[in-house]
Amino acid sequence: MNASNIVLYEAEYQRLKSILVKTQRELGIDLILLIDRDGHQIASEGPAQDIDLTALSSLAAANLAATDGLARLVGEPEFSILYHQGKHRNIHISDVSRRYCLVLVFDEKVSLGLVRLRVKHTTAYLEEVFKLFARKTETKKNAAVPSNSPSPFDFTDEDIDKLFGR
Amino acid sequence: MTFINYVAREINCKLVYYGPGLGGKTTNLQHIYQITNPENKGKMISLATETERTLFFDFLPIDLGQIRGFSMRFHLYTVPGQVFYDASRKLILKGVDGVVFVADSQEERLDANLESLSNLNLNLKEQGFDLNKIPYVLQLNKRDLPNALPAERLKKLLLVKGEPVYEAVAPKGVGVLETLKAAARQVLVELRKSA
Repeated sequence: MNASNIVLYEAEYQRLKSILVKTQRELGIDLILLIDRDGHQIASEGPAQDIDLTALSSLAAANLAATDGLARLVGEPEFSILYHQGKHRNIHISDVSRRYCLVLVFDEKVSLGLVRLRVKHTTAYLEEVFKLFARKTETKKNAAVPSNSPSPFDFTDEDIDKLFGR
Repeated sequence: MTFINYVAREINCKLVYYGPGLGGKTTNLQHIYQITNPENKGKMISLATETERTLFFDFLPIDLGQIRGFSMRFHLYTVPGQVFYDASRKLILKGVDGVVFVADSQEERLDANLESLSNLNLNLKEQGFDLNKIPYVLQLNKRDLPNALPAERLKKLLLVKGEPVYEAVAPKGVGVLETLKAAARQVLVELRKSA
């Protein structure tokens, strides 16, 4: 497996999800979304059904990447937090371990100060979990695919052809 | 960087359409959007200027179907082709799994193609990739224009490593899907190799 690829298994997902659930409930926000810096969704929680999560993930990652570029231009190592204030809804985007990104969507009833405080704590919990995952990945045997999960990489050239309807 | 999600049973890959300004990168994505079933595509996002020139990127998530119970999802991005948007191009290449170079076949755009190809090489290196190793497809677009150079001449000048080449007329959809398939196939084969 390419070391730069991100692999998400059930146990890891459940741990990440439980952290998001706790933060979402405590803050009463519309949405909390964890993505990687390339804009892939990892986990989310919240009642906001009207938001296209794929599009939000891509735009939030791009937004954070562009902000990183701005930071470097003015001699800062990073601007790790982005906040967009709207009439009714606000978005808070922040870095997690330089590889992931946390996106919160909330309305005017939620205090920004509280959001910032909770994001700090949530980020620390998530970073702990990601550290554990990284260690697990290093010890290859623990990172192996669970035996009850078929590897998605056993595909043949014919499987690819079928994908394209040939 | 591929994201392999065992929970959602998805493999997510990133494909970037690169090339000179006004070469047809956005038109490629628009055609793919038009011909893809609604259940297999997400919203297409274009961050463009008021004159419809790509300012940051276009984004189109598509689902190519399932292999061994896993959905093969591709995130298609274009870069802004204009020379002065280089900082944006670098950002979009981060974590790329494959590249499609959309060349403009018109004689007067030859230098722009060569400049963009050299820029791709440089920017990939900066992101830790090697153009000679990464999945890569060359598309010769605008083949229907009277001032298009012969395909053989363009191949001689633009081929990097014997990559697949497709002649295209993107607004009519000619060669668009073939290009995408070739690039996606290379990404999947590469993924299998690295697994």
